[in-house]
Amino acid sequence: MSETVTVTGPLVVEPTETKPGFAGTSVPRKEDKRLLQGEGVFFDDVKRHGMGYVHFVRSPYAHAKIVAIDVSKALELNGVYGTLTGDEVAILTDPFFELSVKPGADIKDYALAVGRVRHVGEPVAAVVASSRELARDAAELVEVEYEPLPVLTTAEDALANETILHEDAGSNVVWQGVFDWGDFEGAVAEADHVVKIERLHFDRFSSTPLECAGVLVEFNRGTGQWTMYGNHQMPGIGAIWMAPALRTGIDKLRFVSQDIGGAFGNKICLHPQFVACCLLARKLNRPVQWTEWRTDQHTANAHGNERTFLDIEVPVTNDGTMLGLKVRALDDCGAFPRYEPLGCIIWAQVTPGCYRWRNIRVDFTQVCTNKSPVSPNRGYSRMQHLWLTERVIDIVAHELELDPVEVRKRNYVRADEMPYETPNGCVYDSGDYARGLDIALELVGYDTLDEKRREAESRGKLLGFGIGSTLDSGTNNFGQSTLLNPELQFSGNNEVATVKLDIFGEIVVTLGTVPQGQGHETTASQVVADILGVTPDDVTVRAGHDSYWNSHAGFSGTYASQFAVTGLGAVKGATDKLAHEIKRVAAGVFGATPDDIELVEGQARLKANAEAAIPFMGIGAIVNANNAILPEDVRDVTLNCRYVYVPPFQLPDKERNFGNLTLTYASQVHVCLVEIDPETGVYEIVDYAAVDDCGTRIHPQIVEGQVHGATAQALGAATHEIFAYDEEGNLLTPNFYDYHVPHALDMPPLKNAYLESPSPFTPLGAKGMGEGGGAGIHAVCAALQDALWSQGKSTVWRSCNPYNQVWEHLRNPRRLVEVTTP
Amino acid sequence: MKVEGTREFAAPRETVWEVLNSPERMAKLMPGVESFDVMDDQHWRANVKIPLGLGGMRMSFDFTKIEEREPEFAKLHAKGNGVGAIVSMETAFHLDENGDGTKMRWEADVKIAGPVGSMGQRVLQPIINQQVQGVLTALDKQVQEAAAA
Repeated sequence: MSETVTVTGPLVVEPTETKPGFAGTSVPRKEDKRLLQGEGVFFDDVKRHGMGYVHFVRSPYAHAKIVAIDVSKALELNGVYGTLTGDEVAILTDPFFELSVKPGADIKDYALAVGRVRHVGEPVAAVVASSRELARDAAELVEVEYEPLPVLTTAEDALANETILHEDAGSNVVWQGVFDWGDFEGAVAEADHVVKIERLHFDRFSSTPLECAGVLVEFNRGTGQWTMYGNHQMPGIGAIWMAPALRTGIDKLRFVSQDIGGAFGNKICLHPQFVACCLLARKLNRPVQWTEWRTDQHTANAHGNERTFLDIEVPVTNDGTMLGLKVRALDDCGAFPRYEPLGCIIWAQVTPGCYRWRNIRVDFTQVCTNKSPVSPNRGYSRMQHLWLTERVIDIVAHELELDPVEVRKRNYVRADEMPYETPNGCVYDSGDYARGLDIALELVGYDTLDEKRREAESRGKLLGFGIGSTLDSGTNNFGQSTLLNPELQFSGNNEVATVKLDIFGEIVVTLGTVPQGQGHETTASQVVADILGVTPDDVTVRAGHDSYWNSHAGFSGTYASQFAVTGLGAVKGATDKLAHEIKRVAAGVFGATPDDIELVEGQARLKANAEAAIPFMGIGAIVNANNAILPEDVRDVTLNCRYVYVPPFQLPDKERNFGNLTLTYASQVHVCLVEIDPETGVYEIVDYAAVDDCGTRIHPQIVEGQVHGATAQALGAATHEIFAYDEEGNLLTPNFYDYHVPHALDMPPLKNAYLESPSPFTPLGAKGMGEGGGAGIHAVCAALQDALWSQGKSTVWRSCNPYNQVWEHLRNPRRLVEVTTP
Repeated sequence: MKVEGTREFAAPRETVWEVLNSPERMAKLMPGVESFDVMDDQHWRANVKIPLGLGGMRMSFDFTKIEEREPEFAKLHAKGNGVGAIVSMETAFHLDENGDGTKMRWEADVKIAGPVGSMGQRVLQPIINQQVQGVLTALDKQVQEAAAA
């Protein structure tokens, strides 16, 4: 492990001297020039002659029967090209494939509501017109008669099954299962205390990409193919959902994107809207474009999972050693499961959090409610679970009057235990959590905490200190889905890249991934440059993704913290193959062996004689245009190399719910200091440090950008961002006025430091690292709890604590904890 | 959203009942009414402009009397449609004799769906309170006119 502890200042992009060894340096990002000059191409920049604009008519009700839909008045409007209703969708398509076993498997989910609406904002019909504004006006002329039904806005109400959302399923439960590892009863018997926590609740929030969702769809009547210029972030799974629903093959679906303005998981479940647009393009025989409105993005795109933790029990010894954890988790996935119930297992990638707990029992249930459907959201499902584990640590420490720093260090998995197998068979690859914590503490001056408390007190403020230490598990083993549904035929993972040398010596890379701002072009060029002995400027990484031309795998896309492993693993593999081919050609020309050749400064040359060199242009020209001069044994060379990176996964053991569910584990330790005004509940984050360890960093500045972004996500989720519903199922925060995303002035000064514990399991020692925001949510919750402790020992039981909630804690302290001695 | 309250009138219960059950007088009670049609004894329709946002929001309301016990109790259901909102309201009033006057207890359960509903109680409660006060003031005036007639 190497260690760099730096307090970083503002981000400045400075050209780095071009020299071998580009991986690990912050070279200027290839993407930035076009993006900063407004020359990026987003889906909404793509226009077609005669195209129509789509506007969805959306449900004003959270739950209602659709009695009738009348589109005639909309169709009478000049400039309206056509409409689509749920009745048509039910005839023209099949319901989307469900991942769950029964009862969730029986849920019928279509591109538009069929017969019933189940959340506010659910698309009921679509109108296409000659302008976006006209389509919106015409949509208001569509008359929909509803018959309101009882509304379910909480998971606990849904569990009672008094009102059923999906009659085909006969239950609101999507999936239920018990995970039991170790011996929880044995742990209780060994414990000095059992800390029981009545309830914790992870609130509903989501990411809000700068670019809303959308797509331009063209249908080719001659070939029966749809081309979608859109911002779907995981076309592989999009195609798997869409093709059967449209009763076609995935070869008929072409996904194209160049630049995407952020996705965060929200753009994985766009298949209903994309299918509706495909049907419209075919029906109207014209290209159609749908661009989501911001309010619709808030109301009905996709939220993060909302999860309630009940009846938590933690057996613990007098010295703070935690022996286990028992919890009943109730997950609210909104009106339709879509990517769910994968969230019912994804959390298990980080079952014991950063800790050495061996005895764990989780009773997990997921239900549907009359809220927006969920989808993976940055930190998907692990964030909720890690928030639980961190809350548990701090609540136990407070209740037993132990130091939360000491309790963490006592229970952390130690660096000398790596690679560490968790009770459910996951393998933490590398890391030093205690060292990360020490660095973070140093950055905020923890040794003077008492002094800071007194000083704050003298100003009438309550000072609180909190830690959040979490994991960002990356590179999925899709085999984990079989623990939910044994019938699913998914396992492992893979990603593809191609690297070729063209006729004039151009090095061209295509990726299977779908970049959304993560700098794939830059980091791929760094890896290629180092292997081929050129500079990143000599490498062209084709922008974006086109499923017709880019090689891709079944689940290609950009999600689940994995590009540095799977994406760059594929790039490395393809480039290694290309390097070998270049050496073979040069060896053929020189009458040498490939081992005699080295690649330096854009040339293939003899190691023994640097004068004997062929520039890459020459190699490219020989193979592509002058190959008759090649010896027979190198005529198989194409200089166009494809590589599929396959992580070393096994099938999980379904009986024991046991297996390695992800390949890498980046770690984050965040600490924060808050000051609360006890009169009003208003609080301010006065100091903040984030220490990140994602193994070998390919591009430190991109890593830092991800850490900053994840921290902003966390602070928003911890302080203000919440999708709140009233009892009728109306979303009360459908815009940026009510749903406050932190802007620059809301951010505290950030102190960052980095550890590098290379992963022993990945081609470059790197780990995925884009989803480490959970640590920040907990750091704020813990700091609030610490500050409030002297004011009545109130339990901070929700993940989002806006000022009014803190004021409530001050006014009516509520302790949700009981400590028993077995 | 539930709202309720009481009001006292210096008029006999029959007079108050008559005002509350006369569609023509009802039309005068409602602030922002632009047109009012009586379909039959049990059904009325009104086009109303509600003071929300720039220029106000136009809605069309259908009223149905769903229960009555003359002269002490009546219950109405109203369903309103407008761009951005669907309103469903159930309102009831109880009239008790109060010496020479009348005491009215009333309650209403208002459900608002659509984008306007998402504004939430924080925004809508003051508007509803304002509307209710408008109705009650107009009612007072109508009762006084009826009593004087």
